[in-house]
Amino acid sequence: MKRARICAPLFIFAVCSGAFSQKIAVAGDKLYSAGGDHQDGKPGVVLIENGKIVGIAEGNKIPDGYQRMQAAYVTPGLIDAKTTAGISGEYNIPADQDQDEETDPNTADVRAFDSFNPTERLVEYINTYGITTIQVAPGLANPVAGQAAIFKTRGPSSSLMTAEEMAVKPVSALVFDLGEFPKQVYGKRNKPPETRMMTAEIIRKALVDAGTSQRKWEEWNKSDKKDSSKQPASDLKLESVSRVLRGELPAIFNAYREDDIATALRLAREFKLKPVISSATEGYLMRDTLKSSGASVLAGPTLQRLDGFETMNATLENAALLADAGIPFALMTGYESYVPKNRVLLFEAGIAAANGLGFERTLRATTIDGARILGIADRVGSLEKGKDADVVLYDGDPFEYTSHVTAVLVNGRITYQAPVGK
Amino acid sequence: MRILQFASSAAAAIALFQLSFSQTSGPTPASPGTQELLVVRGAKIYPVSGPAIEREVLIVRGTKIETVGAEPKVAIPKGARVVDASGKVIIPGIVDTHSHIGIFPRPSVPANEDGNEGTGPIQPGLRALDAIYPADPGIRMALSGGVTTANIMPGSGNVIGGQTAYVKLRGRTIDEMLIPGTIGGLKMANGENPKHYGRENQAPMTRMEVAALARKEFTKAQEYKRKWDEYNKKVAAGDKDAKVPDRDLDLEPLVEVLEGKRIVQHHTHRADDIMTVVRLSEEFHFKVVIHHGSESYLVADELAKHKVPVTLTIVDAPGGKLEATQAELEAAAILEKAGVKVAINTDDFINSSRFLLREAALTIRGGLSQTVALEALTRNAAEMLDLQNRVGTLEPGKDADFVVLSGDPFSVYTKVLETWIEGEKLFDRSRPEDLRYATGGFQVANRYPKLLQSSMAGAR
Repeated sequence: MKRARICAPLFIFAVCSGAFSQKIAVAGDKLYSAGGDHQDGKPGVVLIENGKIVGIAEGNKIPDGYQRMQAAYVTPGLIDAKTTAGISGEYNIPADQDQDEETDPNTADVRAFDSFNPTERLVEYINTYGITTIQVAPGLANPVAGQAAIFKTRGPSSSLMTAEEMAVKPVSALVFDLGEFPKQVYGKRNKPPETRMMTAEIIRKALVDAGTSQRKWEEWNKSDKKDSSKQPASDLKLESVSRVLRGELPAIFNAYREDDIATALRLAREFKLKPVISSATEGYLMRDTLKSSGASVLAGPTLQRLDGFETMNATLENAALLADAGIPFALMTGYESYVPKNRVLLFEAGIAAANGLGFERTLRATTIDGARILGIADRVGSLEKGKDADVVLYDGDPFEYTSHVTAVLVNGRITYQAPVGK
Repeated sequence: MRILQFASSAAAAIALFQLSFSQTSGPTPASPGTQELLVVRGAKIYPVSGPAIEREVLIVRGTKIETVGAEPKVAIPKGARVVDASGKVIIPGIVDTHSHIGIFPRPSVPANEDGNEGTGPIQPGLRALDAIYPADPGIRMALSGGVTTANIMPGSGNVIGGQTAYVKLRGRTIDEMLIPGTIGGLKMANGENPKHYGRENQAPMTRMEVAALARKEFTKAQEYKRKWDEYNKKVAAGDKDAKVPDRDLDLEPLVEVLEGKRIVQHHTHRADDIMTVVRLSEEFHFKVVIHHGSESYLVADELAKHKVPVTLTIVDAPGGKLEATQAELEAAAILEKAGVKVAINTDDFINSSRFLLREAALTIRGGLSQTVALEALTRNAAEMLDLQNRVGTLEPGKDADFVVLSGDPFSVYTKVLETWIEGEKLFDRSRPEDLRYATGGFQVANRYPKLLQSSMAGAR
């Protein structure tokens, strides 16, 4: 009844000893590769060697020398494009909440990487639902919230134990938070921001200051550097924001309401950023604007509670409407403040699939499209030769709530295997 | 404590009240008095009282079900309005044993929050019905999820939170929503939530005190009941000088609990807290339903032994609070196997009522059979509210509350097409204004049509 926390006997040696099977073949009655030559939905076999995919064989014949795994459905490992899993723990007590540094509305220097708890049970939990890659981002409180990171997940039978081992990108984006949360957090202490005006001002100031600092550094670097008193001061916040200005780091703006999304797009225009909008509850109301801005969207949980003022217009069709408009988007689970402490991307996907997005577009929004927006499509997001062997096996339609994930592989290792009979 | 054995007396009470209240009708013209005949034919019907049958006929007379059966054994009465539901699936109206719609209306801002009277931990005198906002969009959203009956409860911030309300999801006033003849349950809570008083150095600060406060209040209620029993006995014996005891609004509902007229609907998560509830219910001989029951599967055998039913709140992931960290999707299956009666609730706003069928699908993922999952949403839930003689199955004489689905009740791709309460169609997915409650976007409905001039229309 409890999810197997120990390795299934069959794999005790192979997986737990660390001497994992070098060659695994995963056969799917319906294999969805989300890329490459394989025709999705047809039978196929993922061939894995040393943690990488070495090829896709059509049909169901397994070449000699491979450990065989088989399932009704096989997909790439799922990618949660933005979550707080690993930095916002399941107990929801101060001891395990490390997602919001609510002491300064500009915390551009903090890194989710340094809060990440690899052994947090919620990370292991979502791995058992096929989520193999997560972008972990600071929470919702700060106008300049800090740096996100991308990790592989560990499962019940994983050997990965440190953030370094799990990291795909230690720094993957800089996050900016708009809307109700920042003004709620600081406004009640009579500190800025108390209004949306001030939230925008704090973000603009951070970007302007970073630009100024960057110019000073450029001048210094061009100079003969003889008078060290003229060297600009090192400032981790300014350096972090400068990376965004230089286009080295994506800017993710978390915004719900139409006007807040518009504010994010306005800021992006002013500072020539290519914005990613997360949550985007009312994104469907401004598809033309989003499309012409070149923004990508990390669609907020379609299950997002339609509760507060800024989420009153949440619709289950948001994902489908954005996709229809040709706006690049991926599914994410974001942050949850209470029960349940984490959403499961696979369950979010089911709702999106059933509300206009359909199976194949939903699959892409949870795999390859996320990988592209996050800039990691060279490693993950599809079952193609040369990519990491992140593979999920299911006993039925992955998006049906009654189906089961039967096994999960990360980097070619089995991280989860359902107890027999499930 | 026991759900089944007090059913008959409550049913009698309901029947009695119906005489005087049966004219209370919904807000729209389909008045029960007209006794209009409605025939829904061609659907696969899950009556829950028996196995599902393809191409069945459901006959509704006024507000009640007259017949459920297969053609041609069941004749289509002349003059009836006939609705063709071929290829569709019909289940009984869903009964949500634990909801906060109307009492925590959307949007959730302090101005709207009326579920927790946080000024003291013992509030049995409070009535949810005095705070329920019938215009809460959450109620129409719940209808779009197939919910027809709900137990709307105060929150879990108090040891005794107040009196709950058993309602149908229709009507402009709470009086139109309330199910005639019902008095609701009593909301109680233990574990973490009521201990919030401890943060202000007020009682309760510990689980010991939470239990002691409950015990103290029920002891007072026993004494109060004794006074009234003595008085009533004197009056019955013709004593004209008998002194009327003073009324106590806090103790009256507790006496109803002691007399088995009002079920304790108890928020509790951890296994030891659940056993504390069982202990109290046996000490004071009251009927109780365990709500949430995150760790109930750990004491499934005890709950079976004591015949205590459980209504589970199914959450996507464990945690959010310590006492919910051991929540498992397998809980329903384990309880069922042990012989515990199981229902599934939303705890809306924790879960949106639109997804109650999906939550049940997750219990199937956890090993429950489809048959029991459907019972958990309907018949079992009705029994936990003592409403099994009115709702929960599609049988002759029951309220004509039913849901028309586009397919398998537990497929994520299935849509709730129509929700009917007492013979009246209150949700129809083909009506644009209703659809926006199913999908969201009802506040911007005037902007929606333009958006849908796209491939979406075909995808629907």
